[in-house]
Amino acid sequence: MANKGIRNVTAVLLIGAVFSVATLAARLGAFHLPGNNQGYSPEQPIAFSHRLHAGELLIDCRYCHYGAETSRHAGIPASSVCMNCHTFVTDTLGSLRAEDERAKEEKRKPNRMVSVELQKLYDALGLDNEMKAKPDAVPSSIEWIQVHNLPDFVYFSHSAHITANVACDRCHGAVETMERVSQVEDLSMGWCVNCHRDVNSVGLGGQSVDASLDCGACHY
Amino acid sequence: MVDNERAYWKSLAQRDDGTIPLPVVGSEPHDVSSPGARGVTRRDFLAAAGFTFGSVALTGCNRAPIEKAIPYLVQPEAIIPGRATFYASTCGACSAGCGLLVKNRDGRAIKLEGNPDHPHSLGGLCAIGQASVLGPYDSKRLQAPLLKNVSAKWDAVDGEIVARLEAIRRDGGTVRVLSGPVTSPTTRRMIDSFLGTFADARHVTYEALSTSAIYRAHERTHGARLLPRYAFDKADVIVAFDADFLGTWISPVVFAAGWSAGRDADAMRFSHHVQFEGRMSITGAKADQRIRIAPGELGLVMSHLASMLAHRAGRSFDSGSLATCPIDVHVLEGLADRLWHARGKSLVVCGSQDTDEQVLCNFINHLLGSYGATIDIQHAARRSDDDDAVQGLLQEMDSGTVDALFVHGVNPVYDLPNGADFAQALAKVETVVSFADHADETSRLARYNCPDHHYLESWGDADAGDGTISFRQPTMRPMFDTRSALESLSIWSGKKLSARAIVQETWKGRVSWDAAIHDGLATVRSEPISVSAFRSESVKAVRAAQPIPDGKLALALYPKASMLDGRSASNPWLQEMPDPISKVVWDNYACLSEPAATQLGMATGDIVRIDAGASKSIELPVLVQPGQHDQVIAIALGYGRAESARFADVGPEWLERKPVLGDNGLVGTSAAPLLTYRDDTLRLSGAIVSVTRTGRTHDLACTQDYHNIEVPEHLTVPGMNRRRPLIREVSIASYKKDGTLGHDAHGGHHDLGELWADDHKYEGHHWGMAIDLTACTGCSACVVACQVENNVPVVGRDEVRRKRIMHWMRIDRYYCDNNGDVDVAHQPMMCHHCDHAPCETVCPVLATVHSDEGLNQQTYNRCVGTRYCANNCPYKVRRFNWFEYAREDTLANMMLNPDVTVRSRGVMEKCSFCVQRIEQARVQAKQEGRPIADGDVVPACQQSCPARAIVFGDTNDPESAVSKMIARGRHYRLLEETNVRPSVGYLGLVRNREDDKDQTHHG
Repeated sequence: MANKGIRNVTAVLLIGAVFSVATLAARLGAFHLPGNNQGYSPEQPIAFSHRLHAGELLIDCRYCHYGAETSRHAGIPASSVCMNCHTFVTDTLGSLRAEDERAKEEKRKPNRMVSVELQKLYDALGLDNEMKAKPDAVPSSIEWIQVHNLPDFVYFSHSAHITANVACDRCHGAVETMERVSQVEDLSMGWCVNCHRDVNSVGLGGQSVDASLDCGACHY
Repeated sequence: MVDNERAYWKSLAQRDDGTIPLPVVGSEPHDVSSPGARGVTRRDFLAAAGFTFGSVALTGCNRAPIEKAIPYLVQPEAIIPGRATFYASTCGACSAGCGLLVKNRDGRAIKLEGNPDHPHSLGGLCAIGQASVLGPYDSKRLQAPLLKNVSAKWDAVDGEIVARLEAIRRDGGTVRVLSGPVTSPTTRRMIDSFLGTFADARHVTYEALSTSAIYRAHERTHGARLLPRYAFDKADVIVAFDADFLGTWISPVVFAAGWSAGRDADAMRFSHHVQFEGRMSITGAKADQRIRIAPGELGLVMSHLASMLAHRAGRSFDSGSLATCPIDVHVLEGLADRLWHARGKSLVVCGSQDTDEQVLCNFINHLLGSYGATIDIQHAARRSDDDDAVQGLLQEMDSGTVDALFVHGVNPVYDLPNGADFAQALAKVETVVSFADHADETSRLARYNCPDHHYLESWGDADAGDGTISFRQPTMRPMFDTRSALESLSIWSGKKLSARAIVQETWKGRVSWDAAIHDGLATVRSEPISVSAFRSESVKAVRAAQPIPDGKLALALYPKASMLDGRSASNPWLQEMPDPISKVVWDNYACLSEPAATQLGMATGDIVRIDAGASKSIELPVLVQPGQHDQVIAIALGYGRAESARFADVGPEWLERKPVLGDNGLVGTSAAPLLTYRDDTLRLSGAIVSVTRTGRTHDLACTQDYHNIEVPEHLTVPGMNRRRPLIREVSIASYKKDGTLGHDAHGGHHDLGELWADDHKYEGHHWGMAIDLTACTGCSACVVACQVENNVPVVGRDEVRRKRIMHWMRIDRYYCDNNGDVDVAHQPMMCHHCDHAPCETVCPVLATVHSDEGLNQQTYNRCVGTRYCANNCPYKVRRFNWFEYAREDTLANMMLNPDVTVRSRGVMEKCSFCVQRIEQARVQAKQEGRPIADGDVVPACQQSCPARAIVFGDTNDPESAVSKMIARGRHYRLLEETNVRPSVGYLGLVRNREDDKDQTHHG
């Protein structure tokens, strides 16, 4: 009797152990070391689509991220940069066409259509639908959530990498396909160093490069 | 024993015992030798707690914290985030007006560099100038106008002031403006035009560190009140009577640049510099010959010198009844010969506040033909200060005849010996308006406080006198609701103009505005001042020395290179800058010579009462100062300012924390009550004081015995090779002969043996530095520049007492006996970036490793804080973060350098050769498709050095400036015998002395 009881308990424990190992193994794939933000894709205050702007409309990355060539920071575009186009483009093409149709049917002038997302931009700038400054509005910057975020003790220079012919997607992935940007690479030091090692042996864009492996190249 | 070796020591204890005392400040955190009876020791508890919290933290933090990226709404044209912009401007930290390049990041001024194109300051900037960048970010500034010390609106204050001024205009009342010396033509114009609207109005200027006597003397001898311009670079013989021109006198950056230019041992042009002084000043420390005299003997010695020179010139000088010369007449005759020999190429300066003595100085210069050669009085600085006028103003105020007083840039209640009287007289003035930026002793008594912008937020200009106009432009938006004094004056004059328009109006049609603002400079035609021929009749001999009664001492008050008159008292960097001579921080003290201290039975740290009679006395700790005159007591001015009360909280909060401030709740004690006012001038010296012990003691935080390189005798390994001297010194005569530092200079190529394979080739760049000890004055501009550039924290007096000062760069000061006096040598010390770095081999986690370009890198994020590296560093340059050294004023975080990591608790840090500047230069060069050129990388210390003592560059490039320095015969490496192969080298100290044999040899 006793033996049977022990056997039952052992069986239950074994099943439990197998189950735990299986669960853990499944979780292990998703395990990140502290600080590794790979796959991070936060919701942004405005659902800006890189797929649309960079992928479909083929706007160069550096049109908005204007500092990439000259500064350490690529830069998040000022709202005034958005307004270069969005003074005129206020809604999606589909929505504008639909309004045109409706206006034609109802025999009236089409109304100005403003998409929900662009309304947030105009609100930030304190503009009304006619793109005039609202007298009582207080303009305030859009607070984007930083996706690619290096620790404070790392000094990464966009301009150095652009000068050395490193393409944007090498670190940022195919941003032009992303509706919402997510961090593709793990941005760990090992990943940086591996690339530095590789390019030193094979070169970049057909040119030999001198990618430093010194700690002081990034940490100071 | 080699010829040129002299025994150098840092402190009296080291000289006498060969041992270096360790500070005793409670028990140190590493003192865990007694586990205690509590069962669980602190260490056990911390280990357990650390493990527990660590594991919780590790499992808890899977994601980095959310960070926001907030762009501009409308992109400003000049700003690219991450890129610095430099704007030319003019320093406003003192009245010298050196040229600046203000580094601006994201709209904030974060670092000041000297403007290399400025014709006078030549790119140098002093410690005070460097530290002044903290000014705008001072949360204790007056942030808005005050009405009766209550925050108010500008409109309300203006309304009241305008109404009162209207009444004064109507009634023909009296208006006075009290300010420091004004070098700005625009400010002068505005004050004049403002005062022009009143019937009885006058502008009164004074400087706490009075130069009044120089103006008065020139009025007597040349018929014009002026402050001459001195050309130290043109002088072959320089004689200074109590003038600390390399440290604090008038325009030290400009003078140091000139002095250093005239002393190039390798170009075979080397001036001879003789200093007469009672205390040990920075300038005295650099002199080739230093003659100790009491302040009261100055006039007599000058009279003797004048008499000797007059005799040589065949001129009459009434020297009939001169008292005996207090110094060896042969020495003075020798000096007279030397000066006479160098007629037209000599320069005599005098820092005295006595007009007769200044007249004697003018007479000597006149005899030597210095006017027109090394002294320019026709293009003199257009500024003035007049102590007499302040005392006149005080009487006027006291008699109740002043209706309105405007105070700008001075603090008379603190500055003046009769400051209390001034405070009382202020109460009798109906309308007192202060422009002060802090609530200081004077502004607290003002009815209206109309705080001026910080100079980095202002428009302005400065006239050097020779046609060079320096311009000041705002380099950041005003932090607070302050207003330019120019605008305030214009509003009260009835026409509201912007400060920009006001400055522009001054120079309309005379300068090209855009170019002038871009360069920070313009040259205009400067009308020479008309001066009369030298009036010999004005010269009077000073016939006797001021007697010092037995048991009394002659007082010499002096400004410190960090504090001057105390205007920067709220700047923690300057408070924590070790004094170039005494190495004391966060205090002033009474300096006594060794014999005087012995005789009085006093030792360093004893608090004494210094009594000048007439109930004027102060209490200060004693500091025994080698090289000081035996009958002189020297005390620094500028301490005990009301603003310094803010530092009560500076430094880390912890159990064994000790008070940072003195018993009076302030940093140091004001010595202003001991100033004297005599014969129309405010005098720093001249009082005769008695000194008595109080029985109490005060621990001075003094860094001189910290970070010792020398191993004390009793700790040396028997049989170990004799150490080479740390300071290598040679006389100019000997250096001219063989171009080396003596026999040991290059003869020391013993087989050093190699611990490491020579497998690091450094094929690209190899960064290195050479420091000329002949040029270095110890002024410490580099120390503060490094602190600003590299986000080095301030730790406070208590932590400094525990040897935890964080400066990456320190200046070691050594003494050496010289015939009863001492010689001084300064040696800037920072990480030597050794190719065989001892620190690297002992780091268990490879947090400090060597780069391909010869840099010793410290990787903070890898450091676990074992401190092995610091123990193994022969140069003692590594600093450990015992605490999270937060800034005392969190607003100051706004000016942290974003290119340098702010180190956290528990990591080691040290000089990085400004690697951020190297990396920046590298990216810049790559972008432009060229290699890094010599001069592209200028570390903060080199940039700031007024004497151009520091040169940095690529030692692999034989054409680089640093390679050329290394190639010189007087280049040597410190601790070369240890074969650590440092990348920093020194050029030996050269003094203009006849021969090494003249020197006394010790050691």
